[in-house]
Amino acid sequence: MNRMILANVAHRPVRTAISVLAVAIEVAMVMVVVGLTSGLLQESAKRVEGIGADVLVQPPGSSYFFGLTSAPMPIKIGDRLAEIPHVQAVAPALFQMQTSGGLNVIYGIDMESFDRVSGGFAFHAGGPFTGPYDVIVDDIYARANHVKVEQTLSLFDHQFRVSAIVEHGKGARIFVPIQTLQDLIGAHDKASIFFVKCTDPGYADDVVNNVHQLLHDYKVLPLREYERLMTSNNLPALNAFITAMIGVAVAIGFLVIFLSMYTTIHERTREIGILKSLGASKGYIIAAILREAALLCLVGIAGGWGGSFLARKIILEEFPTLTVALTTAWALRAAGLAIAGSLIGALYPALGAARLDPVDALAYE
Amino acid sequence: MEPIISAKDLKKVYRVGKVEVPALRGVDLVVQEGEFVAVMGPSGCGKSTLLHILGGLTPPTSGHVCVDGNDFSTMNDADRTRFRRHKIGFVFQRYNLLPTLTAWQNIAVAQDIQGDGFNPHRFEAIVTMLGIQDKLGRRPYALSGGEQQRVAIARAVICDPKIVLADEPTGNLDTENSQMVLNMLRELNRSFRQTILMITHNPEAAAVADRVIRMRDGRVIYG
Repeated sequence: MNRMILANVAHRPVRTAISVLAVAIEVAMVMVVVGLTSGLLQESAKRVEGIGADVLVQPPGSSYFFGLTSAPMPIKIGDRLAEIPHVQAVAPALFQMQTSGGLNVIYGIDMESFDRVSGGFAFHAGGPFTGPYDVIVDDIYARANHVKVEQTLSLFDHQFRVSAIVEHGKGARIFVPIQTLQDLIGAHDKASIFFVKCTDPGYADDVVNNVHQLLHDYKVLPLREYERLMTSNNLPALNAFITAMIGVAVAIGFLVIFLSMYTTIHERTREIGILKSLGASKGYIIAAILREAALLCLVGIAGGWGGSFLARKIILEEFPTLTVALTTAWALRAAGLAIAGSLIGALYPALGAARLDPVDALAYE
Repeated sequence: MEPIISAKDLKKVYRVGKVEVPALRGVDLVVQEGEFVAVMGPSGCGKSTLLHILGGLTPPTSGHVCVDGNDFSTMNDADRTRFRRHKIGFVFQRYNLLPTLTAWQNIAVAQDIQGDGFNPHRFEAIVTMLGIQDKLGRRPYALSGGEQQRVAIARAVICDPKIVLADEPTGNLDTENSQMVLNMLRELNRSFRQTILMITHNPEAAAVADRVIRMRDGRVIYG
């Protein structure tokens, strides 16, 4: 049977190539879409972790995904947070999403307090803000956008001087003075978040409890909890997007394999009649067709795995600020989806072939 | 001795739309084991239908058929498929080889379907007798009509079936190749006591058989 399957696959190279390509696209699409979204979240969480805070304080109703809600709260709250036992430093930050020139969350920071919490930036070039319209960018942003110190960047319809390029991993890729951002977005004396550093990370839960008593309904999280929450499950729209994209990918694989096997069965009606005249059972016919679909699928899965790594290479070359997290777990899930889609796609034609009347099939021209 | 094939009042009616077309109108037939029987008759007289029923490809509408002790009236589609796999070898006018497989693979696929595994000794004996040892690596399109039919015969007998049913095996062949194929069927019949039922229009082909049955209008009229 295996020789027959290989011969059939080799007999129609274009059909085989299209089927394999469809499965490869399915697998690569699932892996890259999930890799892009989870990569974005993981990388974002890692950067927040890199700030060095132990507790995050956000206003009620704000999102875990910084930049989606600027949701300002009075900046004076920071003074009260600083009085809580075991709090070493508090740094306010104001978030603003910028869409021109790529999607970026810009942090408005108070340099002094941000340094106390984060331990300070590692400067690759330049130095701290010296004026209200100074901007600091991280090295990845600078490399991707060919930004150099002292050049100007256009943000919120204003020209900013690049005062420094810093090591990435401190929350955002772009930082401006908090007061400037407050003025630009009309959020005077407001902050989107307070990064709280404890005298010891072990006090994080105590600090969280104390902040809860002080600020009812505020979103207060120890950092480890934040990292756990940074998944697509906590962003329903993103989850729906991922599900929709996976659905489209699986539908592509399913439909191409279905059409491929359906036309194959039609084309091979007489051959199926010959097999039946030799005594091939329904199970034999179904197994032959499903095995052929599985072979196409397995080659497609291998191609899809390779394709996803190629896609990641291209994406990272074109968009260095993105992260594509290709994981073994999702490689296996994508393979499982492709196999299931292909076998289900091939099952209907296989059942049709098994039900063919041998006399009619032998007479088929 | 119990006949290997016995049919009594065998009828087959095909339905074409709302019209019923009788193909067999009550066939009585007995074939002994080891016999080489030719079935002759004009086109549309029901020869091929009779062959399909005896080979278990299609059930009769009514009547009694017993082949090698298997009563078809008690068998469903799966039973007839199993019966065909182990007891019947078909040879067709149009050879019906699988076009993507080599001659070797076309013969071996019958053994694969039967599930008893590859028997190299029988394979060697059959291909040597049929003179196709040097053609085994070729696909059907690279074989002449006579060579294709010899491969088809090898495929039909490779699993040592009780009965070979040949439907106009020389219908697409020239005189020389026809004679060669008939000689081989005769040789199979003599060497292995292979029961053969062969449909033919050709009186010269029928002359090779032990006995000739004539059909007309869905009935056996002679033999």
